Amino acid sequence: MRHFLSTYGTALAGLAIVIFFAVATPAFATPGNLSIILKETSFLAILALGFALALMTAELDLSIAEVASLAAVITGALVHAGQPVWIAVAAGLGAGLLCGVANGLAVTSLRVPSLIATLGTAAVAKGLAFMITQGVAFVGRWPTGFTGLARGSLLGVPNLVWWLVGVAATIFVFVNWTRAGSHLVATGEAEEAARLAGIRTARMKRLGLGLSGLLAGGTAVLLAASVSSAAPNMAGDHFLYAIAAVLLGMTMFTPGKPNVIGTLVAAFTLKALGNGLILLGAAYYVQDIVLGLIIVGSVALSAAAMRRAAFVKKLSFRT
Amino acid sequence: MKKMLASLALGANFVAAALLPTAAHAFDLVVIGFQMSSETHARVANAASAAAKQKGWNVSVLNSEGSLPKHAEQLDTLVQRKPDAILIAMGKPVEAEAQLKSAKDAGIPVLTVMAGTSAHTLFDIQVNEYKVGAEAALYLLGQMNYQGNILTQRFDGNVGTRIRGKVLDAVLSENTGVKVAGTHTMARTQSWRDDVRNGMQALLLKNQGQVQGIWASFDGQAYVIDDMLKAQGVKKGEIPLVSIDGGVDTYRRIADPESTLTATVAIPFEEMGKQAVEALDTIVVKKQPKDSVTAGPYLFLDAVLVDSRNVKQFMGN
Amino acid sequence: MQPASRIMEGADEAPLLSLRAITKTYGAVEALKGVDIDVHAGEVLAICGDNGAGKSSLIRIVSGAQEPTGGTIALRGEPIRLRSPQDALQRGVATIYQDLALAPRLSIAQNVFLGSELTRPVLGLPFARLLDKRRMAEEARGYLQRLAIDVADMTTPVERLSGGQRQAVAIGRALRWDAELIIMDEPTAALGVKETAQVLDLIRRLRAEGRTVILISHNMADVVSVATRVVILKSGRKVTEEPTVGLDADTLAHMVMTGKKP
Repeated sequence: MRHFLSTYGTALAGLAIVIFFAVATPAFATPGNLSIILKETSFLAILALGFALALMTAELDLSIAEVASLAAVITGALVHAGQPVWIAVAAGLGAGLLCGVANGLAVTSLRVPSLIATLGTAAVAKGLAFMITQGVAFVGRWPTGFTGLARGSLLGVPNLVWWLVGVAATIFVFVNWTRAGSHLVATGEAEEAARLAGIRTARMKRLGLGLSGLLAGGTAVLLAASVSSAAPNMAGDHFLYAIAAVLLGMTMFTPGKPNVIGTLVAAFTLKALGNGLILLGAAYYVQDIVLGLIIVGSVALSAAAMRRAAFVKKLSFRT
Repeated sequence: MKKMLASLALGANFVAAALLPTAAHAFDLVVIGFQMSSETHARVANAASAAAKQKGWNVSVLNSEGSLPKHAEQLDTLVQRKPDAILIAMGKPVEAEAQLKSAKDAGIPVLTVMAGTSAHTLFDIQVNEYKVGAEAALYLLGQMNYQGNILTQRFDGNVGTRIRGKVLDAVLSENTGVKVAGTHTMARTQSWRDDVRNGMQALLLKNQGQVQGIWASFDGQAYVIDDMLKAQGVKKGEIPLVSIDGGVDTYRRIADPESTLTATVAIPFEEMGKQAVEALDTIVVKKQPKDSVTAGPYLFLDAVLVDSRNVKQFMGN
Repeated sequence: MQPASRIMEGADEAPLLSLRAITKTYGAVEALKGVDIDVHAGEVLAICGDNGAGKSSLIRIVSGAQEPTGGTIALRGEPIRLRSPQDALQRGVATIYQDLALAPRLSIAQNVFLGSELTRPVLGLPFARLLDKRRMAEEARGYLQRLAIDVADMTTPVERLSGGQRQAVAIGRALRWDAELIIMDEPTAALGVKETAQVLDLIRRLRAEGRTVILISHNMADVVSVATRVVILKSGRKVTEEPTVGLDADTLAHMVMTGKKP
């Protein structure tokens, strides 16, 4: 029972929140509203999965929001300038990947702690975004070929949901079923043991941070397509939510470890919470307060899971 | 199971009642402040919210935190909630066109304040930023007898402040006796006060003794400059400092002989919030035609130049 | 070098591992000052010495984690360079580090196959290979069974295992590489009596399988119990080299402290 609670407790709490809103406000559990929550979840979850991949290698990527904003601005500038959609999309993804690789190199080659390196990258990305836009957003009636990436639907399911499913499934298989994925996880779990076992841990850290940047770029492209504009701070408010999604995700399924399914469930829960609070008519600051509590609470919970593990370890000798 | 659901529903209603200020069936208004951390956005939203509560309406206030995706998400969600009306302070109707359209399709009237017009909203309550900009620019030049050097503190990240800067440029192009000795453009939005202080400090040092006037694109910037000039021993009127927005702290400074802030163009943010609620009351509640409030896409309110001569009138409210 | 060492051994067969005049300096510090050691196939060689004697440096060199400053290493008579732990592993030299051997939160199977996971093709596609978790679990179980360790579930995280079981998992990884020479760094440190006995039993089983073991230990009772020969290092030099036959723990402790037989 205790094992069940520690594994599924917060997921059940999320379910309880969803049920609560469904009962409290009739507008919540409608197909239209659930589709909105799912669409919003997709931006958040894709960004958060990047953060999770970096965290799996025990590195923090604090630059995701600024990198996403920069990638959005670059994509927006190219779409705005009438460039083909695929070029604009590739440039956005490329910009994200480049920032991620820069983070990776700073951490592995220059040995700058990721906390510092990614804050630096965030500042640079922010500066570049303002440089490109001069503070003015790219706005316009953009080609449907671009906006359709986020706004269209296929087989009655919004494209955003397809993107989410595709990205999440790919990452899930990568992390859990490939050699590179298990090397990534091993790097974060026990870097020295992994290195001694022949795993190229520096490369894995670059991969984790690089993918984090790439997914920030992907989020940016979808965000820009969704609101058909690109502003230098457009992903800023996703930052805390993405971290919260990963941390909350770490409290479920495999407690104490960043994981794909947990991140997805947590992202949905957070978005459902925000949506439900608006439907209930709660004041705007309530959402921030709840978010803060969730972050601290989920870290406390996963820290408890880690302490339990450490306690077990102490009971039964050293490695 | 049924019992559990029922008690859950009861609990939900209880929490909902705690979160909601008034009972159901009242007129349901949602006010969205595009960036509540910006004082002017908050002033409009808070004034509107207060006016609506006086009418016994049910008001909730949302904050888009300056983020367009968040703004769009909130509008999408509100279309699901179907409030009786939405009031947006300083939104972005061009960018949020899709969301505003779905609100219109859902039959939710949307009114905006200082946001710009849209085919999907009732109208936009505005002051004429071009007029405001001209008023401030000409006042400053007048204080300098149309001679000398000025420093300008700009911000291009906001439509209003950008227009004010452009109008200043137009005024300067016709009045060549006044030269711009230095310009600092605020780049940051979070720690902008530091940004303004550093930028202006450098310009003042570089042009020591050669500055006859300072123009700031909004009052918050002027406060920072005022504090800096005071610390350097500059007295009121020595270097006229003119800006735009108005507000309690601005009026206090204009009236204060120690302060160097000379004048502002007071934009009636509170009045705009109140007028917005009045307009919704007229059009949505009392079902009067929109044209009885304003014919065009804008409802213009007047901005007033405030300096030491008339500041007392503004300090009362 | 090679013929000379053969003559010195006076045997047809070269030693499995042969270290000659190994030195290692860290800046101004001379950790190893010219050490010669031969390790013969099938023996359990204990390396003893107090802290700072040079044991750790020697282990790092043999495991490939560091290259020596001077001297030569020969494996089965052939001079080699061990550039990395992987290099050593591929040559059949596996090292089980005291604290760093395992990833505690990963499963038994994941630890045994850490860095050398088994994959299987998917849908017959040439490049699509996914982890073969079932085969890894089966083989990991096989290795543990060879070591007479019975754990029901190969997906159990290593942190939930006892100290003896963990050593078995670490040895399982060496077996997965089919390592001929297994170096164990303080395998019984911090273990209880029962656990220690279990680990010593693992070492005997390795020897019974024909594998060669280098054991670094502070515990003289363990050394006399499982080792066939002991080398004592002091201040970076080899001071004694003795078979353990007839030695008791106290004598050995005296030798480690003084460098001489009492």
